[in-house]
Amino acid sequence: MLRVPIAMPVVVETTPSVRLPTRVALLRKRRGWFFGLSGDQFVKYVFQGNAMVSIIVLGLITFTIFKDAVGFLPMNHANLVVYRVAGLEYVDLYRSQVTAHSAISRYLASVRSHQLDILTKQEGLAPAAAMARLAGFDQFANSFADTINEQETLLGTMTDLVTAVKERQKVAEDLVEAKRNLLAARRGATAERAAALQKEVDAITPEVIDFKAEIQPLRALKPDLTKANATQVAAMKALVAVPPKFSDPELNRQMAKFQGFVAGYFTEMETTAQKMAAWDQNRPIGWWESFTAYAFGREWVTASFWQDWYGVIPLLTGSLLISFIALLIALPLGVAAAVYVNQVARPAEQKFIKPYIEFISAIPSVVLGFFGIAMLGETLRRLSQWPALDWVPGFPMAERLNATTAACLLALMAIPTIFSLAEDAINNVPRSFKEASLALGATRLQTTLRIIVPAALSGIMAAILLGFGRVIGETMVVLLCAGNRIQIPDFSAGVGVIFQPVHTMTGIIAQEMGEVVRNSIHYRALFMVGVVLFLISLLINWLAQKIVRRYRIVAT
Amino acid sequence: MRAISVAPAAPVDAAVRAIIEIDDIDFHYGPARALHDITLNIKERQVTAFIGPSGCGKSTLLRCLNRMNDLIDGARVTAGQIRIDGVNIYDPRVDAIELRKRVGMVFQKSNPFPKSIYDNITYGLRIQGEKNKGRLDEVVERSLRGAALWDEVKDRLHESALGMSGGQQQRLCIARAIAVEPEIILMDEPCSALDPIATAKVEELIHELKKQFTIVIVTHNMQQAARCSDRTAFFYLGKLIEFADTRTIFMNPANPQTEAYVSGRFG
Repeated sequence: MLRVPIAMPVVVETTPSVRLPTRVALLRKRRGWFFGLSGDQFVKYVFQGNAMVSIIVLGLITFTIFKDAVGFLPMNHANLVVYRVAGLEYVDLYRSQVTAHSAISRYLASVRSHQLDILTKQEGLAPAAAMARLAGFDQFANSFADTINEQETLLGTMTDLVTAVKERQKVAEDLVEAKRNLLAARRGATAERAAALQKEVDAITPEVIDFKAEIQPLRALKPDLTKANATQVAAMKALVAVPPKFSDPELNRQMAKFQGFVAGYFTEMETTAQKMAAWDQNRPIGWWESFTAYAFGREWVTASFWQDWYGVIPLLTGSLLISFIALLIALPLGVAAAVYVNQVARPAEQKFIKPYIEFISAIPSVVLGFFGIAMLGETLRRLSQWPALDWVPGFPMAERLNATTAACLLALMAIPTIFSLAEDAINNVPRSFKEASLALGATRLQTTLRIIVPAALSGIMAAILLGFGRVIGETMVVLLCAGNRIQIPDFSAGVGVIFQPVHTMTGIIAQEMGEVVRNSIHYRALFMVGVVLFLISLLINWLAQKIVRRYRIVAT
Repeated sequence: MRAISVAPAAPVDAAVRAIIEIDDIDFHYGPARALHDITLNIKERQVTAFIGPSGCGKSTLLRCLNRMNDLIDGARVTAGQIRIDGVNIYDPRVDAIELRKRVGMVFQKSNPFPKSIYDNITYGLRIQGEKNKGRLDEVVERSLRGAALWDEVKDRLHESALGMSGGQQQRLCIARAIAVEPEIILMDEPCSALDPIATAKVEELIHELKKQFTIVIVTHNMQQAARCSDRTAFFYLGKLIEFADTRTIFMNPANPQTEAYVSGRFG
């Protein structure tokens, strides 16, 4: 028989301790601990102060970046104005025609190498014999290439003319700048020194260039251009009328294509002539254009003897391409690892895997970049040269360092971010969901895929976004491993585009910021790139927060 | 002794088949022994209540019946057998997934999935591969009617289940459990988070469900046990102290501990 426990009040005799009357205790003043501040107050002020300093510093950084970046717009405007008034734009119109012609010549060269292939491989001719067979074609190709000679000479003359004008403009600008500096130095100097400076200033007389007059020689070349065009058209038509014949149908098809190119060239020649006639030296350049030339500019050319272009598109596409590939790799790995560790792994495995993955983020990115150059790039290239993998688009890869090399390493860096955040999200799914699902006879896999992952989806999405932020902001790895070719990747190559070298926004800042002249247009253009990065990060963080808030499940 | 109203329970027929036979069960959480030599039979289409103070092992025993304890590290049955329809459910040949399809469970806190009402009900069938829309619709209506919820939610089947009231959520969980047509439904303090009106509805529902299902309910509320159950088991410190008709347990307990507990003197 068990006894029923019944709680009884226990009475113990004690002497009451001496204590202050409540009304005294309530009104008692707390003694100061540090300059009259209590401990709580002191800690509070310290933290407030720290927070304030961080906010002010962040604000200052943001302000400085934006201030320097905004200064880019008037400078780029001036840059574009000179491009027009000094006639560079006019010459570039003509240059495009010449470039089109050489593209056709290159096409002929590719036809030739194709034919050579056929002769040596299919017909088994010795190289010397094959060359002899090609002599007729070579003569044709050479005469075709020669039809551009006159234009090239004219283009050279025009280039020299406008380069000289631009050069003088540059000198004049520098002098104006020097004068401004001297005047600034005069302020606050002694009277004697000021007089000397004034004398120096007076000695400087920057040339005022009359662009209209300067480009007269350029305009004067017009009859020559027309004449050259006419001769060229006649010569080309005569050539094309008797094209070389091939026995191979494929080559004949290529020659037909060549004929098409030539016809296209003739129309282009006409439109170019029209454009050049319509070109107006004095057409004003809108302020908006100085922005669009940046935001939609397809070229980033700096320190060029001809014309500098600051277009962000090649860098932006490079950054986005790399980030996209990196995410494509990191996303399945990171999320799958998170699901595995949280749902499947035994505690012992968890204890090993979690710190291990998180350790990856502790590797300095320069070390990873070094590894990319020394090992990964070469390994990937060797792999791509393996004949069994020829079917992969873009294989064998032309460059050892390319978007994919960098993206592999970036993926490695994004995995810890995606893994940790996704694992947290999965961990935050209430346990009761899992129990409910299992109690209905679901397997563990079904529970994970149908209940837990969907319930954690908002967190996983945020993890992916923040992983993307990590990737697009990374600098060292892309600078070392992305190949750094400033060009919009050729998306016509299909999937093979991922093996092209690219340059990135972060990489260009790191690479060029150290070498540019302070406050020059190039310097400010780099700040503009920084602003784009800043805005992208802002957008990503904002989106991630929004997703998490919007789809947060109320834990039941 | 306080008067307790005991519902006129179905006459306990000794001939009714025992669907669950718990035979001398010992259970351990790691080194700690949670159940001592429990033996009891649960009869088909009756409501059996487990009562007892916190920590007495009643929930543990309940979770042994559909092997939910398998999910807890270090928790295991160390001796004895539990037979459902004559099969030892801890036999290695038994598939716990199939077992849980036959032994449904309703938890203490309502735990609908963050999906629509419709998707909550059909989840159990969908994971079994049921895709026929007509059949799913039919099951949703039948289960919701069975859980006395149909009239309240029929116009918002595709809205989130998390937008329902607490009582509705709990009845949804019951509907979800009966949608897969189990044999047995385990209820782990299903009303402890509900207000008296919602509780009354769930209790009414238990009466209805008894016609089709065998129900095992764990409760802290002795009135509830008295109102809903046919037979009651009283546990204390991991031991089964007394198991008898509900009427006997509340009116004429054999054990003084049982009497002390049901009359509210401890626990």
